[in-house]
Amino acid sequence: MFSLEGITKSIDRWLNSTFHPTLALLLEFLIVGLCAITLFAVLGLVLVLMERKVSAYMQIRRGPNRVGPGGSLQTVADTIKLTMKEGLTPDGADKFLFNLAPFVVLTVAMLVLAPIAFAKGFQLWDINIGVLYISAVSSVSIIGILMAGWASNNKYSLLGAMRSGAQIVSYELSAGLSIISMVVLTGSLQISDIIASQQNGWWIFKGHIPAIIAFVIFIIAVTAETNRAPFDLAEAESELTAGFHTEYSGMKFALFFLAEYVNIFIVCAIGATLFFGGWMPLHIGNWTGFNHIMDYIPSSIWFLGKTFFLIFLIMWFRWTFPRLRIDQLLNLEWKYLFPISMFNLLLITVMAIMGWHF
Amino acid sequence: MSASSVIFYVISGFILATALLAVTTKKIFRSAIWLLFSLIGVAGLYFWMQMEFIAAVQIIVYVGGIVVLIIFSIFLTQQSGNEMQKPSGIRTIFSILAVCIGFTLTYLLIRPYIFTPSSNTPMEVSVKNIGSQMLSTTEHGYVLPFEVVSILLLAAMIGCIVIAMKIKPEEK
Amino acid sequence: MFLKKYLSDIFSAVASLLKGMRMTGYYFTHRKEIITQNYPDNPELMKLPERFRGEVVMPHDENNEHACTGCTACELACPNATIKIITKFDISPDGKKKKALDTFIYHLELCTMCNLCVVACPTDAIKMAQNFEHSVFDRSKLTKKLNAPGSKIREGIE
Repeated sequence: MFSLEGITKSIDRWLNSTFHPTLALLLEFLIVGLCAITLFAVLGLVLVLMERKVSAYMQIRRGPNRVGPGGSLQTVADTIKLTMKEGLTPDGADKFLFNLAPFVVLTVAMLVLAPIAFAKGFQLWDINIGVLYISAVSSVSIIGILMAGWASNNKYSLLGAMRSGAQIVSYELSAGLSIISMVVLTGSLQISDIIASQQNGWWIFKGHIPAIIAFVIFIIAVTAETNRAPFDLAEAESELTAGFHTEYSGMKFALFFLAEYVNIFIVCAIGATLFFGGWMPLHIGNWTGFNHIMDYIPSSIWFLGKTFFLIFLIMWFRWTFPRLRIDQLLNLEWKYLFPISMFNLLLITVMAIMGWHF
Repeated sequence: MSASSVIFYVISGFILATALLAVTTKKIFRSAIWLLFSLIGVAGLYFWMQMEFIAAVQIIVYVGGIVVLIIFSIFLTQQSGNEMQKPSGIRTIFSILAVCIGFTLTYLLIRPYIFTPSSNTPMEVSVKNIGSQMLSTTEHGYVLPFEVVSILLLAAMIGCIVIAMKIKPEEK
Repeated sequence: MFLKKYLSDIFSAVASLLKGMRMTGYYFTHRKEIITQNYPDNPELMKLPERFRGEVVMPHDENNEHACTGCTACELACPNATIKIITKFDISPDGKKKKALDTFIYHLELCTMCNLCVVACPTDAIKMAQNFEHSVFDRSKLTKKLNAPGSKIREGIE
């Protein structure tokens, strides 16, 4: 049966038997780095195409349909176009920070990739504070955005960066609280423990209504954190031209664009891990026969399926809802999401202590 | 020299270099960014020591909280984009003097202690242990500081709300 | 009372959001609703909406006759001087002079497709066609003569 764990194990064994252990470790670093970069490129291509197709079908259009079969090579063509463009740096900009900002954003996205479990036994770093690590490191990306806004020396960029910063800081709270409510149910921050605890059913089913509320709050908060519509005030085209990346062009713009889509993938992967059991197949309690059949589907397919379902959900939001005003945005967070998630956390804690979940 | 100590010196050099840049640069925003890198370097040092929890808290509190706060206050300050003037000569001399005295003081303080490299394997700090230690009332428990800090934060939060609250004009 | 309003606000908000999502979800799953067309690929399958206005034309029948009397009502109705009508005098068999159309000049580059000329025409001599592929390499080609060479007015139209 196809499994990524076996492949990685055999590569590891082969490297360790042929080379000196230190050299083998370095080679493994290299391979992992290359895989991460490849994953980024593929994700960028696939998600941008998916977004364009989804938006087209939702707006009763056809979407890209010229390049390649059914328009499937459209994003490849776009990437080639972007790489050939001139990377302009404005004259009044703080050149060092201007050029540094896209790399900060992308590096953060890459770091957050480390503790995500893509399949059974296929994880870069099973750190014991997994979820905390993710929420800690992802808070650095806002610095990259603020840096880009400031260094561009452009009022639109600065306003966009400020809005984006305020938005990320506010919504991190409710995203964090809904993550914590799942951690309370699991009793561990480690990703592998969280997945293992969903052996007999995913948390969204086991946790009754509070888990569903936590999931809804989580998906709203991460939509806001990734600066996507309906929370895309940071780059509101009609008022701020493009927000913090107004002045960027060519490959540097492409890096911001790529980081946006990779961040969507990452938050959806975290959502899938916390609420839908990561790579864990659909198991129902003690139905051994049913569980056994589900185990035949490879775990990587389960993980990717759940993640792409959540990505589709976020895209569905984007192409349905109109943009919020800034006061509505803050009202939603501080008057609705935050109190509800506080109360919900309390409810889940009581549930976990009394053992009312399945 | 093992790979581990090479990494240690690289991280330490990074922290010192960015900290030096943070105080010598003439642009206030760049100074904040260098401070950010210095703090990230400290978090990296914690990761090197395999104290992941403290490293994550370092990033959350300093990078996600304090540096963002500093950057926001820079954004809201007038003329923060201008380059600062060169400090006068006497100021430079005295600041160098202050740095030297501070360095000497620290050195004198830590010199009497002998740091023996511990042969213990790094302990695995589980989240459960941290949680129960935080709320334990035994001798080495942290329940008192924990509660004091939470009351302080609560007071700060209420103070913020009171300051930010709009007083409705009296109905006529 | 406050709590009741708060909760009902949340429920009505969620309900209205779900309504919107149901609509877009319906469009996403029903490809036959797509209203755009693969334009250059299917010239024969392409169907334009009935009320689409592409340019002004003057229909001629099989005897090369049109219905324009040269009354210049369209020229007067046009808001941006797109139409210029040059008239001549025909001598009818019984020796009377009669005003008739010589040249109907139509400046496509000035036209906004407002349809006022078609409405103003008393004899329905002009109408809006659906042709939209107007791009040419020379701007003078956009100035068109609408009455066909050698055409004349249909019998019985005053």
